[in-house]
Amino acid sequence: MSEITPFESEVAKLIVDTLNLDVDSADIKPTEALFGSGLGLDSIDALELAMAISKKYGFQLRSDDSNNAQIFSSLRALTTHIQHSRSA
Amino acid sequence: MSANWLKQRERGSKLLLVLFVNATRLLGRSTGRLILYPICFYFMLFSRQANRASRGYLQRVYGAPVGWRQVFRHYYDFACVALDRIFLLTGDYRRLNVKVHNAEALLRYLDRQQACILLGGHLGSFEVMRVLGGDRGLAIRILMYEENAAKMRDVINCLNPELARRVIAIGEPETLLRVKEAADKGELIGILGDRVREGDKAVSCNFFGQPARFPAGPLMLASVLKLPVVFGAALYRGGNCYEIFFEELAARVDLDRQQREQELAALMQRYVDRLEYYCRLQPTNWFNFYDVWERADEN
Repeated sequence: MSEITPFESEVAKLIVDTLNLDVDSADIKPTEALFGSGLGLDSIDALELAMAISKKYGFQLRSDDSNNAQIFSSLRALTTHIQHSRSA
Repeated sequence: MSANWLKQRERGSKLLLVLFVNATRLLGRSTGRLILYPICFYFMLFSRQANRASRGYLQRVYGAPVGWRQVFRHYYDFACVALDRIFLLTGDYRRLNVKVHNAEALLRYLDRQQACILLGGHLGSFEVMRVLGGDRGLAIRILMYEENAAKMRDVINCLNPELARRVIAIGEPETLLRVKEAADKGELIGILGDRVREGDKAVSCNFFGQPARFPAGPLMLASVLKLPVVFGAALYRGGNCYEIFFEELAARVDLDRQQREQELAALMQRYVDRLEYYCRLQPTNWFNFYDVWERADEN
């Protein structure tokens, strides 16, 4: 597994702060699953996270994006999506 | 067991259902209602699990042992409401007599095009609210476990495709983003909040004096979106009469992060209290034919 990037740590911190999680943001592995077996987030957490991302990075996550399941699969996938959407 | 209703197998094939729907439309409501008698007797004789659940529930409501007549009435009300869905969905419901109480609780938000959650349960007919709302130009979106009632969805699709399009399926990655987009547009979001599925976050509430688990999702969702929540129940009062009741549950749900669990539990209990109140008003309208109470308290 590769090292965590600075932007990934920033997003990890956003996840922990937004959802008030009882974990250290540094402990979130970039490739670990955010939902279900991994970090154990649920769909309401995903919505809350989507809203926090919109607010902080100024773009909307949309329901008609067919990649939503992939986008939210891991910290790395989410961070990549934010980087792309922000610069788009 | 909270997830029992999921495991209960849907009886009858899709073909039979479609046949019944068409026969009913052809023969009319009165004839359809006659056919319900043998159907209800059949279910009363052969679905022991549902029988036990009905009896257990009715005994809690009445506080006394119940006989087969009350259980039959429970089945019959369920069947009548299901039958009326056919007429509601095809727009052929002028003969239904629907009385609405406290519509202001809902119109307060809708008139200003402010999104709100209409929280109901499997109590009476949600379809009546949904169809009448649609009639009056209210954009109601319904959150629904579609895979669960796939047969029913086919029927809805075939009877009223426009209404079917307003359903937001639960359990997809996009589900809650769709809800948020509907809320952003000021739409009304209907949710049935009384059935817990496996894996759902559930809260134990007092229901007829004993703890029962209810899903936390609907009110957590309201809190994330900061929406008002209106309780709604459309009771079937026998014959062709329905009565719809609306009550404001919360002007704006915004659970405090630090005290989320306590605030959530208090709000959920308010919802369950309303359910209980309307169950008492029309006991045979509670359409959850499985044991909703927690097992540890059964002894």
